[in-house]
Order: sequence, then structure tokens, then C-alpha cells
Amino acid sequence: MVYLKNLTYRYPRGESDVLHDINLTIQEGQFFALIGPNGAGKSTLCYVLTGFVPHFYKGKLSGTVTINGRDVFDTPLPELAGVTGLVFATPFNQISGARFTVREEIAFGLENFALPREEIIDRTEKVMKLFNLTDLAERPPTALSGGQQQRLALASIIVMRPRLLVLDEPTSQLDPVSTHEVFSALDSLINQEHLTVVLVSHKLEWVAAFADRVAILDQGQIAADGPPEEILTSAELTIHGLTPTQFTAVSLMAQRTGLIDSKKALPVTLDQAVQFFK
Amino acid sequence: MSAAFSLYQSRDSGLHRLNPLTKMTIALSGVATSLIVSGVWGNYLLFLLILVPLSAWGQITYSFLRAVFRVVWPFAISIFLIQGLFWTDGTPVIDLGPLSFKAEGLLFAVISVGRILLLVGSFTLMTMSTRPDALMIALNQRGLPHTLSYVVLSAIQIVPMFQAKANKIVEAQQSRGLETSGNLLKRVRALLPLVEPLLLGSILDIEERAIALEARGFGRRVKPTSLLILKDPVWEKILRWAIVALVLALLAVRIWLW
Repeated sequence: MVYLKNLTYRYPRGESDVLHDINLTIQEGQFFALIGPNGAGKSTLCYVLTGFVPHFYKGKLSGTVTINGRDVFDTPLPELAGVTGLVFATPFNQISGARFTVREEIAFGLENFALPREEIIDRTEKVMKLFNLTDLAERPPTALSGGQQQRLALASIIVMRPRLLVLDEPTSQLDPVSTHEVFSALDSLINQEHLTVVLVSHKLEWVAAFADRVAILDQGQIAADGPPEEILTSAELTIHGLTPTQFTAVSLMAQRTGLIDSKKALPVTLDQAVQFFK
Repeated sequence: MSAAFSLYQSRDSGLHRLNPLTKMTIALSGVATSLIVSGVWGNYLLFLLILVPLSAWGQITYSFLRAVFRVVWPFAISIFLIQGLFWTDGTPVIDLGPLSFKAEGLLFAVISVGRILLLVGSFTLMTMSTRPDALMIALNQRGLPHTLSYVVLSAIQIVPMFQAKANKIVEAQQSRGLETSGNLLKRVRALLPLVEPLLLGSILDIEERAIALEARGFGRRVKPTSLLILKDPVWEKILRWAIVALVLALLAVRIWLW
């Protein structure tokens, strides 16, 4: 699905490479989480995966990126819009400003793709239901709260049915209930439609609960890559300035104090923690 | 969150259901007529006999009249004072010490205010009864580039949000001891620390917004479809042409009488 080969990138007027010799393969239907300290290059990698590097941000680029068989560097940005979708942290900036109700805001992308009205209605209604936005359908997007706006931003991208969904800290402004709603919706989308998701998040508890695979990005390079149980309990995590989930931290303390057998595998989710302490 | 920067008032009325192009034709013909009509009370009569009943049809009479008078009264006062008092060689009708109101000046002011009233009233009626996005979609369907309509629509929604952002910056700077009240010099000085974060923040916002738009296919070179249905029955098309013909006839009469 997604192939990155020897990818190196430097922003215009940048003094060093933001991404350096990245090799990555993400399978279709995989929920891939990217974690790392601030300034590691996570957002830049999101821009590469959605074609904004090099089509929007120029700079010095080498290597290849292929998504669903298309070379990202050779495909114009408007063509990529239906293949990859990007949602980022600031909800206000993702509102188009061109539509006056939530329903029409969600339909905006489909209108740009010139889809028939019946299909626009069908898709919009389904997505509003999925993201719990039906009751807000007639409200102006600007009148929503930050959390509601972020759900709207996600719905506006999901409705376009991209094959690869790239989420750059999409839940950073959401409360725990909304965060759970968003992750559950994404999980069901992956299961039902084989959507491939790349998620950048600092909320490691959620990453552990939903991701199939986790990679640590630091100083523009992939420092570790593997299943959540392996990466989120490894020493690499703290080496790269990240803190383990609360479940892992408590369990580690229990092992160190001799409360639990030190050979037992450390948990990363709530369910695993319950089993760990049983 | 702030509301949109628009006068639109949502109602379930016949006026609201009219095609946006019909309401735009009414507004533009109001502007043209205000300049064509030469009589003293003609524009006032058109305002009372056409715009006020239309506003009643749209269930917005009170807010319509309030919005129109809010705009017109400062113009009306200044025009009456300037034209009335400083009309050269006119006939004095009211003496105010060394100055006096001249009949010819007052007459000119009545005509000018009538023009402004019809002009402002026509556009206010259209903006209060027409959703801005519906108007832009109607114009897009008639060939207006959708990038141009985007600029208009986004300004309507985004300007109040930038205002809210500016207020937040003012509050943040005030909490750090910035003095924003006092004499003019103090106020101008206080503006400088506000400009930089607002300007830089806005540029970054615009960059993100451009990315968000591209991610939703805004740059595609196809004619977009629309979720919003804009009905345009035959009688409305006939009405629009009839209005245009009427305005042209008025213009012809005016030129003939000149």
C-alpha cells in the first residue's frame, strides 16, 4: 500500500535534513502509529505521505514514495486528494469557510470531486452518523466547539473515502469521550473498508489500544518499529524522550518492587494490565 | 465562537425561497433606479411601496428597517447639514444666527437621501434574505470562478474568527502588563506588540487552511456539483427579464425627458 524508499527531505532554506533515509512499508488495512519527540519530523512525514511535500512545500527531496501504486512525487496534488486524506491538530483551520452548515461542510470535498447529488447526500449522512454529527447537521461550522470541529474535520476527509488516512495529532484538542469516539470510528472503518491509517499521536494509551504497529521517529529517522507491545515497553521509548503508558509504568514499578514476577511481559493497554495484575 | 460576518436572517418565507439571482436582480435594479429617478419623493415611494412590502413578505421588516436606518441616518444628517447650510445663493428658510438653511440645499438633500435609502435598502434586503453561499453557488453556475466566490464566502465566516483571535492576543498582552487605554499615542504604541503575533499567526493559519482545502480537492479542474438545490422556475426567469426591461424603459424615459 505505502512504500517509502531512501526518503530524505530538507525544507527550503533548511540547514539540515528533516527526514533522513527513511525506508518504510505499510500494508493495506494497517493502523500504523508514528510517535516521537517534538521536532522529530512526524508532521513532515505526514506531508510527504499526502503529497504536500513536494507539491506544496518545495525543498530538497530524494528517494521514492508510492501509495496504492501511484508515485506521489509524479501525481498532481488534486489527483492525490481522493487517494490520501490528511487531518491535523487545529480544528479551526480545517473548516473550509465556504459552507454555512455542518452537512454542507462535509459535502464540500465531494462537490469538488463533482459527485452526483444523490451520492453526496448518501455519503454525508453515513459519515455524520459515524462521527455523531447528525444533531449538529444544520449548525454553522464556526459555531461548534473545538472537539466538535475536529470531528467535523475528520468526517469531511473520511467522506471522500481515501485509501490512506494520515492523522497528525487529530485528538490533541478532544476530551476523552470524543477521543474514544474518534478512535472507535477509525477502528470500524479499518475493519469494514480496509482503510490504511497513519496516526501521529502523543496519547500512547490510545495508540496502544488501537494501533497494529508503532514506529518511533527521532531526528528524522525511524529509531524503532514493531508491534505496540514491543515498542511501547522497550528502552527505546525513554531513550527518545517518550514516557510509557500509565499501565506500563505502574506494572514496571510493581515488578521493580517485587510485587509481580519480573519475567512477565509488561502490559500497554488496560485489558493487558488487568491480566498482568491478576 | 463568533457568528458569520453576514446580515442573513433565516426565515421560511417566499422571499427567502426566491432564486438568489432574482434577489440580486431586484437589488441591482434598485441601485439603477435610485440613480434614474429624478423626482423629489420617487425613491421614497419605491422604498415604501416595493422594498418594505418585500421585507414583510420575507418576515424581516423590523430588522430590515433597523439595518437600513442605521446606515442611512449618519449620511442623512451630514447631507442635510452640509447641503442645507452651505448651499450658495439659495433661499433662506430657517435662520441659525450667522448661518441659514437654504430651500434649494434642503431639496437637494431630500433627493440625495432618497437615493441612498433605495440603494442601501435594495442591497440590505438581498443580503438579509439570501444565504451568501447560495448566491455564490448561483453565480458559480453562471460562470463565476469558484476561487473568487471562495474569497467572498471565507471572508464572511473567517473575519469574525480573526477578530476573536485579535481579542485573545489583546487579552494575552494586557495580562502581561500592556497598557491599551489612554491617549492616542499610547494606544498606537500598544498596537505594535499586537500586530506581530496576529500577522504571523494569520499567515500560518492561511497556510494550514490552504492545505486543508487542497486535501478536499479544491484545486481540481472540474465543475463542482452542489448539495444545495437552487430552484429557478420559469416565472422567476421571466420576472428577472421583466425587471431588467422595466429599468431600461425608465432609463429611456429619463433620457427622452432630459
